Amino acid sequence: MSSASPSDANALLFEAIELKKEYDDGRVPALRGVNFKIEEGDFVAIIGQSGCGKSTLLNMLGTLDHLTTGSLLFRGQSILDLPDPAAYRAREIGFIFQSFHLLPTFTVVENVQIPMFGMPWSRTERRERAVKLLDDVGLSHRCDHLPLKLSGGERQRAAIARSLANEPAVLLADEPTGNLDSKNAVQIMELLDKLHEERKTTMVMVTHDLEVAGHAKRVIKMKDGLIVSDNNSVEETSA
Amino acid sequence: MNFLTIVTRSLWRRPVRTSLTLVGIAIGIAAVVALVGMASGYEKSVVKQLEVLGIDVIVSNMEGGMMPKPFDAKLQDEIRGFPNVKKITSVLMRMISVEDAPMMMVSGREWGGFTWDQLTVVEGRMPKDEKERVVVLGRLAAEVLKKKVGDTVTVEIEDFEVVGIVDGKSVVENGAVILALPLFQEVSGYEGMVNFIDIQVPSEVDKEATQALCDKIQKVFPEGRAVMAKEVVGTSQGFKIARAMSWSTSLLAIIVGVLGVMNTMLMTVFERTHEIGIFLALGWKRRRIVYLILCESAILGLLGGVIGVILGVLTCAILEMTPAIHGLLEPDLSWTLMSRAVMIAVLVGVVSGLYPAWRSSRLTPSVALQG
Repeated sequence: MSSASPSDANALLFEAIELKKEYDDGRVPALRGVNFKIEEGDFVAIIGQSGCGKSTLLNMLGTLDHLTTGSLLFRGQSILDLPDPAAYRAREIGFIFQSFHLLPTFTVVENVQIPMFGMPWSRTERRERAVKLLDDVGLSHRCDHLPLKLSGGERQRAAIARSLANEPAVLLADEPTGNLDSKNAVQIMELLDKLHEERKTTMVMVTHDLEVAGHAKRVIKMKDGLIVSDNNSVEETSA
Repeated sequence: MNFLTIVTRSLWRRPVRTSLTLVGIAIGIAAVVALVGMASGYEKSVVKQLEVLGIDVIVSNMEGGMMPKPFDAKLQDEIRGFPNVKKITSVLMRMISVEDAPMMMVSGREWGGFTWDQLTVVEGRMPKDEKERVVVLGRLAAEVLKKKVGDTVTVEIEDFEVVGIVDGKSVVENGAVILALPLFQEVSGYEGMVNFIDIQVPSEVDKEATQALCDKIQKVFPEGRAVMAKEVVGTSQGFKIARAMSWSTSLLAIIVGVLGVMNTMLMTVFERTHEIGIFLALGWKRRRIVYLILCESAILGLLGGVIGVILGVLTCAILEMTPAIHGLLEPDLSWTLMSRAVMIAVLVGVVSGLYPAWRSSRLTPSVALQG
């Protein structure tokens, strides 16, 4: 699949040029001209206060929302020109959300299989892959449980397994520890660190928690829809 | 897990609402099956009756509802001399209330006419002559009226002795009260009048020659019509009305079904905005989501259709047992009708799902994720 190989390291994955996003017919600017580059294998944290535009930026990267002006390139191609945004989301992107967004009527293993529809895999292959992913995140014993029966930490593990379903190039995590207690938050971040190390998957994580952002190799700070700093650590950003 | 698992899981998330929707579609489809089955059964029983009686050409008045208006019986004498008329007889037939039966066929037949020939006496005897003031009852009519040989039955205002129970080999014949023509003309106030002249042509006469006979009769009876027995169902005003009524009532029931499913599917789409957002975020194509919604509504239609057909068959069975219908007609519940009803139900489901599916496909993923 599309996961980065060592030979791809440092290849340009995303490039944003004067990226703007406005809501309510321009009355509410969310992004006011953002420029950045993200390379394959990066682990980027986007920090900033609520309303600074960090989640909007993540949505742009994942094509969950449309940009207003400017351009956003993925591997040199404009996101706007993608022939099939759904296929882009299915194959290149894995989402991890603050509130997990697991489907309550499906078991954990079924939830992990949802993104696999559209991939050329049989029903058995889908299930086997899902079980393997759940095993990777330490949740194989919860395969046939409904999400409601899981703890917050377990739900986020299930969501992480789901985000890896199609071996994406990038994981986009929106406040991945926002709904977890500190113990589970640490465990989830350790899991993300491990995935990043082992799979070399590019990670873009939005958080307002500096401790969580400390796991990233690069920290972009946003304020009022603009990038105000782009450093290699939280310490540099805070300085 | 396959795609169908997702479809069915979504449907059964709200079991009460899904069940109520199914009931709505099922009632509509049951109405289609019962009404069209009854109308078709009536047509078939009449065709069977004409076959059994060996009638090739029927002459009747154009006017009238389910039964044509009576006309002067002397027309028969004029037609008798026409070429290719082998046998000719006249009948005064009316659908009237007889004792406890609200609707019953009463058939006054010309004495000695060939329409008496097909009746087989099951019990008792036939009338001795046209003057004997007695009736014979078809098997089903006897059952409905709870009469046996020796009892009396009141037709219009006069009591007649039942001298025989007969088998007429068709539902219409078996459900009738049969008596000599002059008696019925007298008690019903239609003296000298009939509303059918039935003609047999020689077996070697082809369709063109039979049609030529019809045309010739038409010339001497312009206010009436002469049709070949095989075409009577297609041309009769009564059948046309029955068919139109059954289909128009069915159409109303179907429209109600469409609105029910559409309401359910719209509610489903509104309630599942968040879920649809998740599907979109996880890379599902919009057309797969449209397909999901359409499959859900089609399955609702299919299940509703199957339940509706079962309900329709039960309804027909119950209707057939009621005094108003028993003996008068036998529903025609063919596989064609039942499979057509299920197909209509599936179509109802798909059509009802189109708008909700279109709405779901227009959601922006980030907005949908917020619910």
